[in-house]
Amino acid sequence: MTAVAPAILARNLSFSYPSYDGATVSQTVLQHLDLQVEAGTALTVAGSSGSGKSTLCHVLAGLAPRHTDGQLQGLLHLAGHDILATAPSPRLVGLLFQDAAVQLFNTTAEDEVAWGLEALGVPSEAIGAQVMLALRRFGLLDLRHRAPWQLSGGQQKRLALAALWAMRPQVLLLDEPLQGLDPVGQAEVLGALELLRQEGSTLLFTTPDFGGVARSHNVALLEGGLLAAPASAADLAAHSERLEAAGIICPTEAWNELRDTRSVLASAPALEARNLRFRYPNGPAVLHGINLTIPRGEYVALIGTNGAGKTTLARHFNGLLRPTMGTIQVMGQDTALRSTGQLAREVGFLFQRPEQQLFAATVREELTYGLRRLRLPDADARVESALMLFGLHDVAASPPAILGYGRQRAVTLATLAALAPSILILDEPTAGLDGRGRRQLLAWLSERRAAGTTLVCITHEMALARLADRVIVLHEGRITADGAPSEILPHLPWEVAA
Amino acid sequence: MSFALDLYVPGRSWLHRCDPRVKLWMMLLGLILAFRWTHPLSQALFVAVLLLTLRFAGVRWRTLGWLWQQMRLLVFFMLLLQPLFSPSGRVLAQIGPLTLSLGGISSAVLLALRVLAMAFLTGGLLFTTDQRALVRAFVRLGLPYTWGLTLSLTLRFLPAIGNLATTVREAQASRGWVTEGNLLHRAREYHPVLIAIIIGALRLSDQLTLALAARGLGYTEQRTTWRELRMRRTDWWVLVLSTLGFAAVWGVSLIFPAL
Repeated sequence: MTAVAPAILARNLSFSYPSYDGATVSQTVLQHLDLQVEAGTALTVAGSSGSGKSTLCHVLAGLAPRHTDGQLQGLLHLAGHDILATAPSPRLVGLLFQDAAVQLFNTTAEDEVAWGLEALGVPSEAIGAQVMLALRRFGLLDLRHRAPWQLSGGQQKRLALAALWAMRPQVLLLDEPLQGLDPVGQAEVLGALELLRQEGSTLLFTTPDFGGVARSHNVALLEGGLLAAPASAADLAAHSERLEAAGIICPTEAWNELRDTRSVLASAPALEARNLRFRYPNGPAVLHGINLTIPRGEYVALIGTNGAGKTTLARHFNGLLRPTMGTIQVMGQDTALRSTGQLAREVGFLFQRPEQQLFAATVREELTYGLRRLRLPDADARVESALMLFGLHDVAASPPAILGYGRQRAVTLATLAALAPSILILDEPTAGLDGRGRRQLLAWLSERRAAGTTLVCITHEMALARLADRVIVLHEGRITADGAPSEILPHLPWEVAA
Repeated sequence: MSFALDLYVPGRSWLHRCDPRVKLWMMLLGLILAFRWTHPLSQALFVAVLLLTLRFAGVRWRTLGWLWQQMRLLVFFMLLLQPLFSPSGRVLAQIGPLTLSLGGISSAVLLALRVLAMAFLTGGLLFTTDQRALVRAFVRLGLPYTWGLTLSLTLRFLPAIGNLATTVREAQASRGWVTEGNLLHRAREYHPVLIAIIIGALRLSDQLTLALAARGLGYTEQRTTWRELRMRRTDWWVLVLSTLGFAAVWGVSLIFPAL
């Protein structure tokens, strides 16, 4: 009997990207990495933002450096095949991308699954049955005629998984499979992954935090391109200082600091909505008569399921949307006559999808943009302290576009920190942040809370909502609960509180 | 949020189920006829027949109305300007250097109707054919697969790039951008938006390259097709009848050249 070759075998594997401007030295992302994953087992690679997780996935999938720039050295075998010598087939390895949306390029869900089978040259008459099987496996049969972009985040990830699974890869790589999903989406994807694990697929996950995915598998820590030997999740969990140092969990002190910081409340309102109704042009009504007063200095958590209208409501507070009916007042002034640009002096807004809103040539310029626009004093000092706060000094001269998701998120947070407006609206501030990023965010929130800034956090993360002065629950465009976290949070349906 | 540039309205009518190659053929014949008519009345009759055919093929008035909405400004300007620039025949009025003539009006109406006919012909194809089938038809007619793929990827992702512009404007406005100053100054303000769009487009194309490679693009020369285009008996009938109909109408136009 011959021994079964390991599903993944890497020895002394190093990868470096060329410099982006020709002047700086090339950037080593993975250093002398050793990795062995046996067939039918699962491994989680946990690492902070910028630790090289996505690069590792691209290298293992045979995409880097074959379809990217960069240099690869060492040995890499997948199920006995030399990946450096010949490109692996989709039957050997499949990769779920961090952003599933780019992986879905067909016009219907069923065509999406069929595409890979067609590329493999599967006989036409056999494709239909395999497509339906894969769609059923991931609970998408009823959605097979839908366009991928009409699906929710969780459904998109499941569709991307179904499209990969249909090709029956021996190794499945999943790059931050829960990134950007709400609790419902996360539960959907975790369920699908559990199925795959029970089937005996070989799985390799990456994660920027030691949460959901990490807990059930062996975990290898990736730090600055160095991969530690895998350990059981339970063993690692016992060494929290080790995980904190790797930047994948946020120390409890940071949470405690935010909890123990008192809000500096004033009686005058910061934000006021009166009978706010909103309907998108030619679209459905989203907000149905919101009445809300948020006093200055209050820390409010705005929670609710996807599509409840949280972001739509928040976008009224800085004039990006105008009420169909009703009024919005910011710092006692009606917003009807002021543009978003004018409101920016008072209201800072953190958007989702940071990669779509960074436009400057360097991180430093990105931070300076708002200060220059609003002609705020001490611009240099503000930029420096914001860079310090979010640990961005080492990339201050780099273009924000080349940074990974977590670092880009930190840049968008830093732009707000530099402006220090009196009201902050943060849409899912913790999304995509590693442990270190969370610590920086929490420290900043504590500082702002103590300084009397009004904080409105739209969040799925209950730990963040629990520390607020007040929780507002939105459901189908109406406020269904409003009160202290201790009164509201224990009574939430699981979709909101998961 | 991204969506596609897709005019397809799903349906089960005979035109919907027709092979896209036959539809392309019919569109070609229709376009030839649209250029054959030289009298406004025959062109008007042609447009009316087209509209009825499309309605008969399950395209809703609402969809056709939408197309008219898109075209009406162009039609309006053609009716307004064409008579002034191509005067011929009996002069009806003379206002300064502008001449309004019977021939001018007639040619304006003919031209406007021709443009409408072309719009409805193209609409008839795009409203009843999903993009994938259309691209498949082009590939079957000899277009290399990668070209077909590029075409459908462009249709799929172009609006997403467009949305980037909105997102960046909003991000800038949220950091204090206010529309002010002269035109040149404002144009310069769009600089960062352009940069963000270019970066976004490059990023997207990088990611797509990887996504396509990961899913096996170019893995085999013998790429298969799940739903192969097949000419059914009805398709052959539609092909033959439409060609005969075209020949008959063409014949009539030869007998009555004034049409």
